[in-house]
Amino acid sequence: MHIPDGFLSVPVWGTMDAIAIPSVALIAKRAQREFDHHRIPLMGVMGAFIFAAQMINFPVGNGTSGHLLGGALLSFTLGPAAASIVMTAILATQALVFQDGGLLALGANVFNMAIAGVLAGYLPYVLLRGKKAGIFLGGVSSVLVSALLALAELFRSGVRMPSAALAVSIGLFVISAVVEGAITLAVMQALERRKPGLVPRPRATGALAAASLALVGAGVFLASQLPDGIQKLALQTGIAARAQAILRSPLAGYKLQILASPVPARLLAGIIGLFVVYILCLGISRILTLSREGA
Amino acid sequence: MRHARVERWSRGNSAIHRRHAAAKILATLALLISIASLRADAVAACGLYLILLFMVAAKARLPLGPVFRSAAAVVPFALCFAVLTALAGDPARAVRLTVRAYLSSLAALLLIATTPMPDLIAGLECLRAPRFLLQIMQFLYRYLVVLMEEASAMRQAGAARAGSVARLRFRQAAAAVGVLFARSYARAEAIHRAMLARGFEGRIPVFARRSFRLSDAAFVAVAAVLVIGVRAV
Repeated sequence: MHIPDGFLSVPVWGTMDAIAIPSVALIAKRAQREFDHHRIPLMGVMGAFIFAAQMINFPVGNGTSGHLLGGALLSFTLGPAAASIVMTAILATQALVFQDGGLLALGANVFNMAIAGVLAGYLPYVLLRGKKAGIFLGGVSSVLVSALLALAELFRSGVRMPSAALAVSIGLFVISAVVEGAITLAVMQALERRKPGLVPRPRATGALAAASLALVGAGVFLASQLPDGIQKLALQTGIAARAQAILRSPLAGYKLQILASPVPARLLAGIIGLFVVYILCLGISRILTLSREGA
Repeated sequence: MRHARVERWSRGNSAIHRRHAAAKILATLALLISIASLRADAVAACGLYLILLFMVAAKARLPLGPVFRSAAAVVPFALCFAVLTALAGDPARAVRLTVRAYLSSLAALLLIATTPMPDLIAGLECLRAPRFLLQIMQFLYRYLVVLMEEASAMRQAGAARAGSVARLRFRQAAAAVGVLFARSYARAEAIHRAMLARGFEGRIPVFARRSFRLSDAAFVAVAAVLVIGVRAV
C-alpha cells in the first residue's frame, strides 16, 4: 500500500522521514562498502525486474489475480541490505515518475516496505535456515508488517474508518500476505530448479539482530496505535461495549492486576498479537508445504 | 503508455523546463509541505494552489487536459479512504483527503513532466541524496521499459502455449517470474562487463553539468513567496 501525500499528518510524515532518511543513508553506505561498484548495475536491473515481474498475474482463485510485491524475494536473493536499497529505489521511482505514493510520504513508505518489510521478510527465512516454511513465512510477514504499519500511520494521522471496514481491510491484508508468501515460495522454487546455486545461503549476521529490533519496534508502534484506533472506533460507532469486551477479554486480567499503566498493557497486547499472527502463519505454511509435498 | 508520455513532456523547452532541477525540487517540496500543513478550513488556499499549479503547467506549455487527468490517477485510491472516513463520521476530512492527495500528486507530476530523469537525478545529487542510491535509480529507470517489454512478451508466449489450463496457471506464472529473474540477473552481469570495458569506475560520468544560476535562485524565491503568500490570504 503506497500512502499518497495528503493522508498523513505533519508529525507522522515528519517523524517517518526523519527515521527513514538517515536509515537509508546508513544502509546505502554499508551496502556500498560491502558490494563495491560491481553491484550497482545488478541492483538497478533487479529493481526494474520487480516492476516487470508485477506485470505477470498469479491466479488466486475466484477469478481474481495477484502479483509479486517482491520485498521478501529481493531480501532472499540479494541479502537484506541490498534489498532495502533496491526497494527504496523502486519506491522513489514510483513516487517521482508514476506519482504512486507521495513524496513527503516517501519516508513512511520506505520505512514500511523497504526497511521493516524487508527485515520482517528476512527474519523467518534466516531463523528457519532457508527452508520452504521460512520462505513462505518471509513473504507473509513482509507484507503483513508493511500493511499494518501503513494502517497504524494512517490511524495516528487521524484517518478513521468504520470497524467493519477495518476488519475487512485487515482480512484483505492477511489474504494478500498469504498470496505473497505463496508466490514468493513458488518463484524461489522455480528459480532453484532453473539455476541451482543462484540464491545464496542465508547468513545470520547483524541483519538478524537489526531485523528483530526493527520488528519489536514496529510491534510497539502497532500496539500503541492500532488498539487505540480500534477503541476510538468502537466508541464512535456505538458498539463500544461489545467491541471492547472482545478486544480486552484476553488481556483484561493482566491489565487490571499486573500492569497498572495502560502503555505496557498495550505493548504486551501488540507483542502477543504479533506472536499469534506468527503462529498462525507457521501453521498455514506447514499445511501448505505438507500438501505440496504430498501432491 | 503513461510513462512514455511524461517522458516526452519532460523533453519540452520552456522557462520552467530550463530551471535547475534542484530549484524545481525545492519549490515542489515547499508547496507539498504547505499543502500537507494547511488548516482544516483552508478551502481558499487549496483553490489558489490549484490555480498556481495551473499557471505553472500553462507556462511550461504542457497539454493541460492530459496533465490534469493524469494527476487524477491517485483519486480512486483516495476516494476509497474518503468514503470510509465519511462513513466513520468525518465527511470534512474525507473531502480534505481527496483534495490534498490530488493537489500533491499534481505538484509531483509537474516536477517530473518538466524535468528529464537525468536532470532530476543530478538535482537530487545536488541536494545530497546518497549517490549510490541515485545510481541504482538511474539503472532502474534505464532498464524499466526493457524488462517490462520482456515480461509482456513472456506473458504473451505463455498465454499462447498453455493459457487455458487453469490448474497450471499459478505454477506457470511462478516459472515465468523465475525465468525473468534469471534473465535479468544475466543481463545485469552482461551490462556490468560492457561498462567495465568502457572504463566504468563506479561513477556514471555527467557530460553537461548545469550550474545553479541566479535565475534558479530567483525561481525558488518566487515559489517560496507564492507558497507562503497563499497561506496568508
